[in-house]
Amino acid sequence: MGLTAETIERSQNAGTAVRDIYLPPERKKISGGGVPHVSAKKFSIYYGEFEAVKKVNADILSKYVTAIIGPSGCGKSTFLRAINRMNDLIPNSHTTGALLFDGEDVYGKFTDEVLLRKKIGMVFQKPNPFPKSIFDNIAYGPRLHGIKDKKTLEGIVEKSLRKAALWDEVCDRLDKNALSLSGGQQQRLCVARTLAVEPEILLLDEPTSALDPKATAKIEDLIQELRGSYTIMIVTHNMQQASRVSDYTMFFYEGVLVEHAPTAQLFTNPKDSMTEDYITGRFS
Amino acid sequence: MNLGTRKLFDRAFTALGFGSIAIMGMMLIIVLAPIVSKGVSAIVFRSTVEHRKMLYSEFHRGNRVSLEKEIAASDAARRPVYEMLSEFEAELGLMDEDKQQEYKAKLDQVRTAIKALLGPLPGESEPALTRFKYGQNRWEKAEEKLKELVYEKQWDYSNPDIAAKEYFVSRATAFEGTSLVRLFPYVEKNIDKMLLPEWTFYWGFITDSSVDSHIFGGIWPEIQGTFFLALGAMLFAFPLGVIAAIYFTEYAREGFITSLLRSANSTLAGVPSIVFGLFGLAFFINTLKVSESKSVLAGSLTLAIMILPTIIRAAEEAILSVPKTYREASLGLGSTKWNTIVTVILPAALPGILTGGVISLGRAAGETAPIIFTAAVSVGSAIGLADVFSSPTPALSWNIYNLASEHEAAAEIRHVQYGMVFALISIVLMLNLSAIVLRARISKKLKG
Amino acid sequence: MIMSGEELSSQGRSSAFVVSARQRKWQKISKTAGESTLLLIASFVAIIVFFIFFFVTRDAVPYFQIRGFKEFFTSTNWYPADDPPGFGALAIIYGSLMVTVGSALIAIPMGITAAICLSDVIPFSVRQYVKPVIEMLAAIPSVAFGFFALVILAPLLQNFGGTILMWTWWVIVSPFLLLAIIVASELLSAKVSDEKKRKRLHTFLSVVLGIIALGLLFFVGNKLQRIEILTGTNALNVSIILSFMALPTIVSVSEDALQAVGRDLREGSYALGATRAETIVKTILPAASSGILAAVILGIMRALGETMVVWMASGNSSHIPSPWFNYLESVRTLTATIAGDMGEADQVTGSARFHVLFAMGLLLLVISFICNFISERIIVRQRKVLSGQ
Repeated sequence: MGLTAETIERSQNAGTAVRDIYLPPERKKISGGGVPHVSAKKFSIYYGEFEAVKKVNADILSKYVTAIIGPSGCGKSTFLRAINRMNDLIPNSHTTGALLFDGEDVYGKFTDEVLLRKKIGMVFQKPNPFPKSIFDNIAYGPRLHGIKDKKTLEGIVEKSLRKAALWDEVCDRLDKNALSLSGGQQQRLCVARTLAVEPEILLLDEPTSALDPKATAKIEDLIQELRGSYTIMIVTHNMQQASRVSDYTMFFYEGVLVEHAPTAQLFTNPKDSMTEDYITGRFS
Repeated sequence: MNLGTRKLFDRAFTALGFGSIAIMGMMLIIVLAPIVSKGVSAIVFRSTVEHRKMLYSEFHRGNRVSLEKEIAASDAARRPVYEMLSEFEAELGLMDEDKQQEYKAKLDQVRTAIKALLGPLPGESEPALTRFKYGQNRWEKAEEKLKELVYEKQWDYSNPDIAAKEYFVSRATAFEGTSLVRLFPYVEKNIDKMLLPEWTFYWGFITDSSVDSHIFGGIWPEIQGTFFLALGAMLFAFPLGVIAAIYFTEYAREGFITSLLRSANSTLAGVPSIVFGLFGLAFFINTLKVSESKSVLAGSLTLAIMILPTIIRAAEEAILSVPKTYREASLGLGSTKWNTIVTVILPAALPGILTGGVISLGRAAGETAPIIFTAAVSVGSAIGLADVFSSPTPALSWNIYNLASEHEAAAEIRHVQYGMVFALISIVLMLNLSAIVLRARISKKLKG
Repeated sequence: MIMSGEELSSQGRSSAFVVSARQRKWQKISKTAGESTLLLIASFVAIIVFFIFFFVTRDAVPYFQIRGFKEFFTSTNWYPADDPPGFGALAIIYGSLMVTVGSALIAIPMGITAAICLSDVIPFSVRQYVKPVIEMLAAIPSVAFGFFALVILAPLLQNFGGTILMWTWWVIVSPFLLLAIIVASELLSAKVSDEKKRKRLHTFLSVVLGIIALGLLFFVGNKLQRIEILTGTNALNVSIILSFMALPTIVSVSEDALQAVGRDLREGSYALGATRAETIVKTILPAASSGILAAVILGIMRALGETMVVWMASGNSSHIPSPWFNYLESVRTLTATIAGDMGEADQVTGSARFHVLFAMGLLLLVISFICNFISERIIVRQRKVLSGQ
């Protein structure tokens, strides 16, 4: 078991660009979507000497949901976090190659990572609401970016909570501490908080791994709701989840992007034998 | 060794550990119990009519009418004593020279003892020192003085191998056969009528200033001075310490300068407190000349550098204990680093930072050595807020030392000393307790 | 460029995260300026440390210029007010050493056993109540301890000194003797193979050793009881109090060191059938030894640098006790001398009498700096060893 030279060659040089839109009948095609929103060009991420993500070539298509799967330690989270430069927090990390967002290099000299992160929102593995009220949690981002008016903030809070399908559950206790919510509610609050700054891309880093099945189903429904409005990337351990929520799937193994294809195709007819082994559960 | 012995060793070892902890707990009780019980007695005690007289004339407190009634009643009970004294003086004039000499010295002793007990004799000129204007204020002190009047203390030097032992002789025997012999049983029997003891709650002990260097009155100047010094120290040290902690936790890159700064911090934490005093004297007063001589400002500055390392450490720990996820979430929403620190990390770390601050406040309030040369005076009235830049102040910690070791009547005012120690320990332990409660409550809130 | 959907178009140019070169430059400059300001404030501590050394040294040097080094370190004549004055600080340095050693002798065994007990023996629920006790002990101001030593402990020692010593001897030594008897009789009888004989020998030995031990207890106890303590303000009093002030430091730092050893080592030892005591003594203590050493150094520093207790309760007599280990005599320490003599020396700033106090301060400062440096190195090294670097 391992990566074949052929796979590595194809991944790192030829590229795994996905242009064809192959959707199962139950998934609607999105008008105006499907253009490369984020593009990786021979993009590598290093922790010191260690190359955690190896020369990835890929286009993430706008407005669709892309799932990233792979065994733990394969670099999938690293890749996701690289997109809004959260890896900057890790000392000794650096990148080579290019990562383009709307055609501009994310790691370019004149990139302001603060503005970048406003465009590319992120939801983390464990729900991480601030120890503030629900309202203040949602309003945190807008306030940061200069919105002071109470009315406007209230509007944003309601809109974001509605988008995150949380409004009905919390509308009467917006001033309660966000930590008093259940785990699933907290995670949807985190989604709402991210939506409040009006990002274009939503990065979800294993958003359901700390949740029970019921809460997980709600998050998955939420992703379906948001599909079409945002470009969504979701890292997941759970292959069923990937097949349920995503339009495209990327499979990483040991830092190499082994396969990137429409989900329906990747799960039924994988091109690479590694992918097949993984999705059929021969290793994990 | 067989298993039994090994197990025995194990148990002995456990017992040793428990023993050590028990001794520590016992020590705490042994130290605190007398201080608390006797400290409380500085406020709650049986006061005599002399105490009420003192309060009325020195602090204008009390009911004039009832006080005059009480004074009349006690004077009536005292009159026979003074009459007996003058009767004996008349008797003395009739005696021959030798006898006069013999009794005179003894009579003087009796007079002194009566003055100590009941205050100045009638017809005597007003004493200059306030402490001689009144008799015993406190009943238990009065009982001591009564014993000194009735019995004479003598020393037994008969055994040269051991230290001399004290023993008591009744003074009445010395006046056998004279009219004065009646005085002693009379005083013993009527002492409560002369002094009219009653339980009082003397809250003025906290809020009054002292009269005649703490013989009477309260400890307000010391309490106020302690607060000025401690709060002043916090004013300087707290912002500095928190900012330094932010730098160490959020910005410092591991390297030579950072490790140098860190060891400077622990070096500062290890400097003996008296050296801070020397430094405060040499730097703040003699070099910077922040004030002419000792001042609250100089003392606060000195205390501030002493508590700075504690604040930095506590703040650092508090900031480090803020979950990394908060940082990620805030940055992920497009917040700048500084914004993240101010709006997310500091609020979450606040309980820890405050806990450290409150504990440092207690430490600043309790320290003595740094303020000896920079801020503390033994006697003085409470200073105004405007004087903190120029004038020194009495402070609890320093005055405890001063009253216990250097006061001319240290043994007479033990209750004041205990009261001061009790006040200081209460302040410090309250601060610590509130720190513990604060920590527990807000960490609960953080958990939701 | 993709500019579709209401969100996108409302944001204007979607590559809004790229800023101009000038903006970037300003961002960098302001960032550097901000960080430098923070660095400046953080380095305030280092500046203070430097200033402390500088100013204390500056005022200490004139003393050595006037009087030289020899007298200070070799003479015991401390008569700063006399004419000609004597500035021999040997007895004072010795006094500091004496109370520090005395307090260390009490605090080290107690502190380490208490730390072991806290980290390895008592359950977590109990520990919650013990920790505040230690915190409170640490929080009590030194002057309160000094007051206790002067007003309560000193008269007790003076009046009932012999009895107190005897009871301390009894309480502390008898459990150890009992343990020693049991172990010794077992070890001595272990070689006899016959079970019946061995038991008989064991009983016999226990009784004989017990009688000897009781005799020893009574003999020494009696001697101790007859000791007359002439003054309660002596080195013993101060050592006792200082040890309790050093204890919280020793306990908490050693406990950290013990906790840092980790569960793996403990479990490994227990799995081999070791008792708790054996695990602690043979496995955990060696692993945590350097951290405990650091704790001891920090605790000793606290005792050495303490002022108020020694000033109030040491008796302040500047002489080397005779014999040199006589803890029942009054002593005088560096800290107390600085605190006590400054009042008189203050008016004559510039005289040797003023500067000699700074010389003492410098001595204290240097000792504490060295101790601190050593303990810090030790802690850093232990952390490295334990994290396997």
